[in-house]
Amino acid sequence: MPTPPVKGDVNPKQRQYEAMVRALSADLYRFAWWLSRSETVAQDLVQETFLRAWKNLDALRDAESAKAWLFTILRREHARLYERKRLEVVELDDTLPEDAAYASPERSGDAAQVREAIGRLPDKYRAPLAMQVLGGMSADEIAESTGQKAGAVMTQLFRARQQLKKLLGGRAAAEGGRT
Amino acid sequence: MNCLDFRRRISAEPRSRDPALLAHRDSCTEGCAAFWQRAQRFEDDVEAAMAVPVPDGLADRILLAHATGERRAQVGRRRAWLAMAASVLIAFGGVGMLWRYSDQHSLPALAVAHMPWEMDSLALTRPMTDDQVEAGFVGRATHLKGPAPGMVTYVHDCTVGPYPAVHAVTRMDDEPVVALYMPGKMDGKPGTFHRDGWDGRELQLHGGTLVLLAQGASRKAMETAERGWRAAIEGPAPASIGQI
Repeated sequence: MPTPPVKGDVNPKQRQYEAMVRALSADLYRFAWWLSRSETVAQDLVQETFLRAWKNLDALRDAESAKAWLFTILRREHARLYERKRLEVVELDDTLPEDAAYASPERSGDAAQVREAIGRLPDKYRAPLAMQVLGGMSADEIAESTGQKAGAVMTQLFRARQQLKKLLGGRAAAEGGRT
Repeated sequence: MNCLDFRRRISAEPRSRDPALLAHRDSCTEGCAAFWQRAQRFEDDVEAAMAVPVPDGLADRILLAHATGERRAQVGRRRAWLAMAASVLIAFGGVGMLWRYSDQHSLPALAVAHMPWEMDSLALTRPMTDDQVEAGFVGRATHLKGPAPGMVTYVHDCTVGPYPAVHAVTRMDDEPVVALYMPGKMDGKPGTFHRDGWDGRELQLHGGTLVLLAQGASRKAMETAERGWRAAIEGPAPASIGQI
């Protein structure tokens, strides 16, 4: 029979931290990956985020808000990391998509294609989209985290999806279309 | 809520459970339910695409790095405490050594340390003449300004530590009292002391420092010796008004 781990001298803060790492590190890594598009940078960002979280763990009052809190820390870490070497991003057309693409999201294709399309989104759309999809954050929470108004975030989320559909629709057409 | 608002909201927040949105979806006859269905499927695709593979053992690596960092910090804190404790010990040791050095080089310590070579002088009982006593002081380039104390049994020029001194012994009621006079030493610290079995007094006189030593001598013998040597070295005290 395996010996259970010794937990007698583990204090509540360490237990909370360990539980948080185990529960949220995967989503946090995915968010970091979508911000940086690099496995190594993403891992470093997650590591740094949890390091900062440990130092400020007393500030976390509510377990429900842990994920949004960590996402906010990570986004700031990423911003700090790329403060001086912001990558050039090609802005896409912000106009509303064609009805056809809008009406046929099932044409979005497999995960790899969608992933590639998400990767082509500008940072200002991809980041809030990742916060919403991976972090389960509401527009209000994203707005609070990014220091924007909720209306502006709603617009970014709307445009992110429209551009995604447009990108996937265009690719589908180039490939001969899919149904 | 109209269809345009509904579709804009669903396009921004497809997973929203806002009752107003759901109510419109369920009541709309313009195809909003189908729009909602498509939005859900699209969102499924987005979620699946965003769920990039997570490196194996990520959480464990984070916890390991954290534990290692904490351990290193703990060791660092322990080292800092040890260094501080060592510094305090070294400081105490240094202060102790300074105190010990200072004590061992104090005039009482030097005077007492001088005595083992002069113990025979305490046994002499034949009184010396005033001239002999004066001659002992002349040997240290100083002169008595008053009469020598009574019953001086020994006078010799010696060295107490680094200080040239006149070593004399007076005897009263068979109690020898040693007088070590160091001419020119003006930084004496007047007071009494007891050290290594010797009772002593350190006196600052006009021209130098006088140390009196005795083993078990009476207070009267010590005071008589003090008065006698003070009068001899500094000269008789000026007459007071009562005496005039």
